[in-house]
Amino acid sequence: MLFNSFEFLVFLPIVFVVYWLLNNDLRKQNILLLVSSYIFYAWWDWRFLSLIIISSIVDFTAGTKIFKSETEKQRKAWLLVSLTANLGLLSIFKYYNFFAESFADLMNVFGWQPNDLTLNIILPVGISFYTFQTLSYTIDIYRKQFQPTKDVISFFTYIAFFPQLVAGPIERASNLLPQIEKKRVFRKEWFSEGIVQVLIGLFRKIVIADTIGIYVDMVYGNIELYNSSTIILATFLYAFQIYYDFSGYSDIAIGTAKLLGFKFHQNFNLPYFSKSLTEFWRKWHMSLSYWLRDYLYISLGGNRKGIKITYRNLMLTMLLGGLWHGSSWNFIIWGGIHGVVLSVEKYLKSTRYYEKIGSLSVFGYLITFLIVLLSWIFFRTQNVHSAIFAIEKALQLDFSKPFIGDINVLANSVLLLSLGVLFDLYLFNKKIHLEDLGAKFGVTKVATTAAIVVALINLFYSTSNNFIYFQF
Amino acid sequence: MTRDDLKYVLKIMALFLVISFFIDKMIFFTLNKISDKVYSGQSVGKLNHFLEIKDDLDYVIFGSSRANHHVDPYKISKNGFNMGMDGTKIAYSATLLKVLPKQKKQLIFFHIDPENVFSTKYTGSDINGLGVKYNRNDIFKTEIDKLEKNNIVQKFYWSLSYNGKVLGILKNFFMTNYDYKSYYGYDPLNLTKNQKNIFERIIENDKIEDCQDNFDLNKVYNGYLDDLALFNQENNKALVFFTSPKFNDYCKEDNIKFEKIMKDKGLIYYDFSDFFKKDNSHSFWRDKTHLSNKGAIKFTKRIYNIFNVYREKSTAL
Repeated sequence: MLFNSFEFLVFLPIVFVVYWLLNNDLRKQNILLLVSSYIFYAWWDWRFLSLIIISSIVDFTAGTKIFKSETEKQRKAWLLVSLTANLGLLSIFKYYNFFAESFADLMNVFGWQPNDLTLNIILPVGISFYTFQTLSYTIDIYRKQFQPTKDVISFFTYIAFFPQLVAGPIERASNLLPQIEKKRVFRKEWFSEGIVQVLIGLFRKIVIADTIGIYVDMVYGNIELYNSSTIILATFLYAFQIYYDFSGYSDIAIGTAKLLGFKFHQNFNLPYFSKSLTEFWRKWHMSLSYWLRDYLYISLGGNRKGIKITYRNLMLTMLLGGLWHGSSWNFIIWGGIHGVVLSVEKYLKSTRYYEKIGSLSVFGYLITFLIVLLSWIFFRTQNVHSAIFAIEKALQLDFSKPFIGDINVLANSVLLLSLGVLFDLYLFNKKIHLEDLGAKFGVTKVATTAAIVVALINLFYSTSNNFIYFQF
Repeated sequence: MTRDDLKYVLKIMALFLVISFFIDKMIFFTLNKISDKVYSGQSVGKLNHFLEIKDDLDYVIFGSSRANHHVDPYKISKNGFNMGMDGTKIAYSATLLKVLPKQKKQLIFFHIDPENVFSTKYTGSDINGLGVKYNRNDIFKTEIDKLEKNNIVQKFYWSLSYNGKVLGILKNFFMTNYDYKSYYGYDPLNLTKNQKNIFERIIENDKIEDCQDNFDLNKVYNGYLDDLALFNQENNKALVFFTSPKFNDYCKEDNIKFEKIMKDKGLIYYDFSDFFKKDNSHSFWRDKTHLSNKGAIKFTKRIYNIFNVYREKSTAL
């Protein structure tokens, strides 16, 4: 089920009403959340529910066993069970074809042409997200930072909780599980915040991102046809398409959770207002970047083993972070670009040049945005060849008039993007988080804000596209 | 949730519905007022223009952008109008045809694409383009309801019918690009150097398309074709269907099958998809399915010949 679908418009109010009617019975409430989460997922393809259930069973068992194990060897063995099962499923469903093709390409270099090794595999929606979520549970228990739950329903609900099941935010067990196990209290301010955030998220997705997406898809669908200015314009717009698409999704997820009495962590914090790439990653898809930091970078040794190892760890983290997004060399290169720049920033920070550069921080916003823009080309194109082709064409510096296509689409894109950016600037200047925006609104202000946003959605929404991050 | 919390939620919901209802109606009626004064632009202006002059026209061209950009009515006869509209198919055009006056003898050129008539996905959603007049035109309302395109949300939020059109309407309200009184509905595609280059690159990368193998007539198309055949007989209209040229129409089976269907239904149909096959200069094209102004001038001459044949028949109706 998509957040931007008519089905969800019916589904959410039903769940909301029944959920709060069951407020006196925590177990029944959690069962309702679990069943509705499975319905939410099965709406896409019920067969892949089995993967979520397998993951949940494995990690519930592994978590308990790790906690109860008396020897380090046993604890490691159970952690390995969890890692193998989860990463194994992820590898088969997400990466098998990529590795098979890459292997065949490598063999071709040596003059051997293996048979076609690829399989017709469907990528289960959300597998990357719930795999990371469930892994954080067993790893935290292994690290003795968290105690396993004894309640199967709570744990299964934690893995499948529908607001964040298919595209995050990746909530740690330490944040979400205790909330599931504890009686929720309806809070008026959370309800107001939730309503406002859901609607603004919806606006960001179906009004801004989907409108911009029409132009971007047209250009990136036939990149060989267009001149430099068209490609640069489309890439610039894509930077905002992906931001409003994914942050919009996160807003709906966080807002929906709040309506049900849960508090998720913030996932986006105006990332394009960043003076460095390091800052960018503290503001972009925060639940993933902190996951990578805590479970990959630190596991590799972080910055505790000398400068060379630190750079290696940083690069590995970003390369694997890239690969997490998709089974393609494009994502690895995308991660690589970020890894290199983060390493350079780390190096500069360790030298006396950093303070001098710091005084030029006003340019930091621009430079950071340009680096992110360049890397988005790899993210958007289908393969490395197309990405290099797009960069080559952009570097031809043919700045003749860009191709406009449907003037109505471009005019709407510019207007709606301006609205989105102005709103972000307002939040940035006022130092307000969108998550808290509705907290101080009274009844009339919440209702009026919601009515205005709905009116704008009605007038400007674009045809519904899948959320970009669903493919990951 | 306490009783107080419940009251709070219900209060917000009720207030939201009331405010939302009023904001929506305010926007809807304001946009009605504004759009009624707009006579230029594809959003609403062209439709208003057509509705204003439809009763006096001798002939009308209906269809998609491939009708709009391909036939210049001014070159045929001065009392005609090209009502071709970007992104529309049979539901939109057939509905507009039904608002033509019953008594007046009129010749209708109706553009149709064989590849669309066999589509399994087409549900007539292009009729939503007429949604701005849903509450103000009985024929539009009947047709939109018949195709079930006015959903429950739209019944509450009337302004949804203006979705995606606001900027176009406001722009044409404040700044008109042309004098609509000298506009005949034809929008020529004059090529810029950039567009010429793009088309050359399209041709360089041209690949043979996969042809469809389903030849079951789409239900919506079937219904409208039958409707139009009947309407034609009862309303003094001479109806001529045609397919516009394509740069390279690799798939011909759909054309052959469609020609037979039209023959079986007793409808007049001309297939011009290969019109430029013998003289396919790139300068005639904007892209593989749209003619440049130069190409359209040449094609209009062919339509003019047909016009001369059926003009006599339409006046003899």
